[in-house]
Amino acid sequence: MRRITILLLFIGITASTSFGGGYQVGLHSMRNIGMGLIGTSLTYDASSLFYNPGGAAFVKETWSFSGGVSFLMARTTFQPKDVMEQFKFEHKINTPLYFYAAFKPTKNLSVGLAVNTPYGNGLSWGKEWIGKYLIQDITFRAFTFQPTVSYKFKDIIGIGVGLIYSYGSVDLNKAIPLQGSTGDGTLNIQGSTGNFGFNAGIMVKPVKGLSLGIDYRSKIEMKVKGADATFTVPTSLSAQFPNNKVDVMLPLPANLDFGASYEFGKNNQWMIGLNLCYVFWNTYDSLVFDFETKTSAVNRTANPTLYENKLIPRIGAQYRMNDLLTFRIGGYYDPSPVKDDYLNPQTPSVDQIGLTCGLSVQPVKGLSIDAAFLYIMGLERSGTYSPDNFAGTYSNAVFTPGIGLTYNF
Amino acid sequence: MKKLLFIILSVAFLAGCDKKIDEYPASSNGVDFSNYVAVGNSLTSGHSDNALYLSGQQNSYPNILASQFQTVGGGAFRQPLIGTENGVGFTPIPGGLYYYTKLALKIVPDKDCQGNPTGTASLKPAVVVDNPDQNTLKQQLFSPPTVAGPYNNMGVTGATVQSIFYNRLGDPTPDGHPFNPYYVRFASSVNASILQDAITQQPTFFSMWIGNFDILQSAVAGTDQLLTPADTFAKYYPLAVGALATSAKKPKGVLANVPDITSIPYFTTISASLPYNSVILDSAQAAGLNILYTMYGHPDIHWQVGQNPFVYVKGDGSWAQMKPGDLLLLTIPTDSIKCKGMGVADPTAVPLPKPYPIAGKYILDTEEQQVIQARIAAYNAVIANVAGTFNLALVDMNGYLKLFKTGMVFDGVKFTTNFITGGLFSTDGVHLNPRGNALTANYFIQAINAKYGCSIPQADITKFKGVIFP
Repeated sequence: MRRITILLLFIGITASTSFGGGYQVGLHSMRNIGMGLIGTSLTYDASSLFYNPGGAAFVKETWSFSGGVSFLMARTTFQPKDVMEQFKFEHKINTPLYFYAAFKPTKNLSVGLAVNTPYGNGLSWGKEWIGKYLIQDITFRAFTFQPTVSYKFKDIIGIGVGLIYSYGSVDLNKAIPLQGSTGDGTLNIQGSTGNFGFNAGIMVKPVKGLSLGIDYRSKIEMKVKGADATFTVPTSLSAQFPNNKVDVMLPLPANLDFGASYEFGKNNQWMIGLNLCYVFWNTYDSLVFDFETKTSAVNRTANPTLYENKLIPRIGAQYRMNDLLTFRIGGYYDPSPVKDDYLNPQTPSVDQIGLTCGLSVQPVKGLSIDAAFLYIMGLERSGTYSPDNFAGTYSNAVFTPGIGLTYNF
Repeated sequence: MKKLLFIILSVAFLAGCDKKIDEYPASSNGVDFSNYVAVGNSLTSGHSDNALYLSGQQNSYPNILASQFQTVGGGAFRQPLIGTENGVGFTPIPGGLYYYTKLALKIVPDKDCQGNPTGTASLKPAVVVDNPDQNTLKQQLFSPPTVAGPYNNMGVTGATVQSIFYNRLGDPTPDGHPFNPYYVRFASSVNASILQDAITQQPTFFSMWIGNFDILQSAVAGTDQLLTPADTFAKYYPLAVGALATSAKKPKGVLANVPDITSIPYFTTISASLPYNSVILDSAQAAGLNILYTMYGHPDIHWQVGQNPFVYVKGDGSWAQMKPGDLLLLTIPTDSIKCKGMGVADPTAVPLPKPYPIAGKYILDTEEQQVIQARIAAYNAVIANVAGTFNLALVDMNGYLKLFKTGMVFDGVKFTTNFITGGLFSTDGVHLNPRGNALTANYFIQAINAKYGCSIPQADITKFKGVIFP
């Protein structure tokens, strides 16, 4: 009963976030957030279903549940290149969340379900700002549901695979430079879609204390067919801007993760680990809007984005002080996949340094209350979105406390 | 407990972790912008949509420039504001002037050649008030501005390089001397000249963009006969700039040159959709027209089966067929072409159809264009030369507007020199709209920054309006 309550609680909260290179979100387990978002080689709980399905079978207990929510607060600043006024906005608090449940029918087999929000983008520059003809606000959310099986051979090698179903929705507003007595024209696009992908991983524990993991999460093409496109334009132009359907495709990029971790000390109190995450961003080369009803003014538009593949190095450590308390710390460097001449206010992507810490309290055996805190420092960056001749300097800072529960028994 | 921690951390973030970007490093680099005076014609006065009106003036490029100068020590900028948003313009008619209001885009029902509604409608510029009360508009034009002078914006609609020197240009006494109603309304005295009113203010910085009307007063009338002579321009332009540059405060300043007519939609719009050879004839029609034109003494004009050029009246009064490159002006009554046989023959004439050439005022043929373009080049050579002599910033508006022929994008907005849809010009096809003025001000700023090593921020063009659609 209680498990179901937890599930409902977390599903009920909306998730939409924007940080990290591009629109990928890394907040999938409070324990892992606490140690620099590493996780590919860890097998502490059901979050392995997501981080590396090959590791899920190594979780010792028959049942493992883990769920949590982050409270993501970001501030972005934009200084136009030649204009005095600076634009700042604070994102409304976003709440990316996760829930994992794993069950072991036999000693070497684990089955489970992972639900989380690995991609998203939510920002609002406001109705009147210098980039209003590029974007006013955008909310993009993707939930993924991943049923997973994992099997281990002895205690050395585990393999696992999950089928991912991703459900996403998009809602964006921008101004159109055609003015009537009440101001600019506007375009709103709203739609949702779902598609499949997979997550496969291998976990190896060659010697005591050492874990090695490799995980591949496939690209998912989020094709929104027939999203609602609503134009508001002066009456005299309404024939050229009929309310419309539009097809939009946003790819969720593939990730290849490699992780290594080592436990040592008395009762393996200490753990250090690292993670290398290669993101195949180059799949996102343009954002295409293909309108169903074409007119002289409304057509297929392709906005080049030309993202580049990036490697994110991460490092983290854990110290289990006693049966009650565990402490974590970590950090990572997340380079922006966006080129200088394609830097745009839809995803104002800057290189980021993330610093994390975390704490688990275990009041009773098997139950752990996990808290983590992530501070992301965005490195100031200047660029131009050349197709729109929109130039300036971006900076951001993100502050993310989070809380979760893990229950293994 | 967790909630408390959350609140504490949130407060810590909002207070302490705010990342700041350096602000725009505005700097005058020692240039004194405290008293900026602008000299020019209608482009400088804020004339727009074929009239002088309040918000047009408020969006003049000198006013936009002045507000940007205020970030680097610029002072107040007074303009001779008119107390009407509907605006006033005028045209000479026998016995005086006819006054009209500004233009705005309107949805106008289409009519067929019999005058019956076709059920469709077109988007066209039209006066905002039909048949306005003449006395009201006259009074609005000649009333003093709503704010007291002296006026930093000395732009006067219709000002030429020579007329800015005229004493009594602001004296409306009808004794045969030249006067300009747009200057009458704010001249400091009946004996004042535009240039003297500018210099008396002891500007610390000035701009002068003049020469446009010296060209346009002729070009918009479809002729090359009313252009200010090149030697007149070469005489008065250096005198005007010299008078400003050597005035009391020895001001620095900026000059702008004259754009080509082919960058202006008034001259390019109609011909873009109505080719010079749009007359389609069958053999009977061609034969009939050949007889008709011979009867009227123009056997040299030959009509053939298929496409034929329109016939028009040349500058010397002779008739000719249009050639590729000849430009039909925005004012041409296209209804007359469609319904009355303009450019071919009037089929409704009695007892017989009559040749109906297009009046010369509606066409700039290639010969006229060549004369005009040579004159613009002569003016611009003088302007560049004088900018060098007095060590002033030079804005190449001629080159800049040419870039817009193929389109320029700023902050996600594409601008072209197309009429209405281009987003740059107002509904009169000659003057810029507010957003076009903001782009102009920004280009002036680039030239000033480059010349004087200052860092004046540019205007946010997205804050300005373009053409307003109904």
